[in-house]
Amino acid sequence: MFALPLDLLLLFTALSPLAGILAARMRRNAISGVYSAAALAAAAVSIYPVYQGASAGAVSSIVNVGAFTSYMRVDMLAVAMSAVFLMLGVAAAVYSISYMSKERSSPLYYSLLLSMISGMVGVVYSGDLFTLFVFWEMMCISSYVLVAFSRGGGDSVEAAFKYLVMSGAGSATILLGISLLYGMSGTLSFEGLALAFGRSEPSLWIYVASIVSLIGFGVKAAVVPLHTWLPDAHSAAPSPISALLSGVVIEVGIYALCRLCFTAFLPVQPQWLPIVMVLSVVTMVVGNVMPLLQGDVKRLLAYSSIGHMGYMLAGLSIGTQLALTGTFLHIFNHALMKGAAFLCVGAIIYRIGSRQIGDMSGIARRMPITATALAISLFALIGMPPLNGFISELTIVTAAFQSDLVWLGIAVILNSVLSASYYLRVIRVMLQPTASEAVQGTKDAPWLMLLPICALVGMIVIFGLWPDPVMDLMQRSAAGLITLLSQVTG
Amino acid sequence: MGPSYYLAFVFALWAVGIYCLATKRNMLRMIFGLEIMINAANLSFISLATGVPGFVDPLAHSIVIVSIGLSGGVSAVAITLVVYAYRQYGTLDIRELKRLRG
Repeated sequence: MFALPLDLLLLFTALSPLAGILAARMRRNAISGVYSAAALAAAAVSIYPVYQGASAGAVSSIVNVGAFTSYMRVDMLAVAMSAVFLMLGVAAAVYSISYMSKERSSPLYYSLLLSMISGMVGVVYSGDLFTLFVFWEMMCISSYVLVAFSRGGGDSVEAAFKYLVMSGAGSATILLGISLLYGMSGTLSFEGLALAFGRSEPSLWIYVASIVSLIGFGVKAAVVPLHTWLPDAHSAAPSPISALLSGVVIEVGIYALCRLCFTAFLPVQPQWLPIVMVLSVVTMVVGNVMPLLQGDVKRLLAYSSIGHMGYMLAGLSIGTQLALTGTFLHIFNHALMKGAAFLCVGAIIYRIGSRQIGDMSGIARRMPITATALAISLFALIGMPPLNGFISELTIVTAAFQSDLVWLGIAVILNSVLSASYYLRVIRVMLQPTASEAVQGTKDAPWLMLLPICALVGMIVIFGLWPDPVMDLMQRSAAGLITLLSQVTG
Repeated sequence: MGPSYYLAFVFALWAVGIYCLATKRNMLRMIFGLEIMINAANLSFISLATGVPGFVDPLAHSIVIVSIGLSGGVSAVAITLVVYAYRQYGTLDIRELKRLRG
């Protein structure tokens, strides 16, 4: 119906209740977990033929099924983003098999997990704003329920409600922005928008539409005045969901802003990008100062996601091909680093039952593999040279210097130095020689949790030492995004 | 009457929704504010569908129908969360919720 990976995901999502019934009959929750991990892995494998098609230059497809017409546009950027989403999705699903095994309603959890990931893949594959909005809401509605899913209730219902109200207001604002673009151009496909606005003079309404869309997508991308839902929602969710929310869901907002920036907002780019630049600096400063004050390790990681969103926005605001390569590379690397960090922290919380950093003293002796993996992912988040976070931050800083935005490059460097202070505090507590009460007698995480953690950490090291293949992929994605207008006009 | 009057009304409605979200303490009233914002966007689509005189673009109307369905889904999830919060805390006041959590 749509592109192959998306078809598979939607089919598997629709069939997931059957796996749930089977799991309930046989009283083995692992069945639906294995089912969803296998479904995501199958979709990930099916990206390969789509990748070949995108390399050969086949990008658009108009799908017409009866009364329903949808417009998909699968270019290199869409392929790269969907690969990132599915990679982290497989890791989170495998991790959940063990993490959610004591949860009675876990078949429901896996259905929601699959539908959230299908929504994200749909957003990046859609070729017009209507399809994008429908998949956007599919992703959002599943994520509201997943945030409220954690055991023990407590603050998760309140966090989910806050998330729902803010993100819902953002979605309504996005719809308003889309309607203004539609009113001006009469079309919603990205190619049509690029043609209608690409070489036109800016009018008052395009300014209004660009600001309204920035507010709407900015809520999801946690741009700073609109970020207040993020620390609550990401810390209240179950750990695999926190990994997905921080690692990929908020990046979908950045993707949408990038896409609109090089289609509909082409006439207002000289005025729009400086606004994004100022917001990006504010975002990274807030995202790196607030974690210093946190005692809860999941809130610390959630705030540091805001800081990393600041780096990605900085790459977007520079607007050159090198800077966008850095942004997309950082989306990939951030998914690996933050995914691994949240999964490790989840394993530690699973064993000691506390989220406070103070309770984790001496954990490195009791859970050596988890603690080593957490240390590697935190070093990557700081931007230490042999690991992958360094490569993408370096690319963004280089692009800033090349475009004579020296202050922006220095802001990114200073912020990653600042971020070292709170990441290193976590590592110092883990390495303390005296074990706290909660840590006494714990053993390392179950192997099903260690498996995705080790895979992600392995990729952090591999893509830090050998970034060429991903760099090349992201470079082609950025080139495809920037030259969309000239592709359409020919 | 051109679409600009409608658009002025749309932005007024959007501001009412934001005001409602920012000032109301009752969780159900906040959901109403959310619905008002979504309806403002729907109205904007409908009013902009008549760009060419004598012709109404069906694209805008199909978007509005889908959007109404999606907003129904959002409200269902929101009301479920309100029911859970009420069972847990015995109040619908969002500020009380923060205090009770402590």
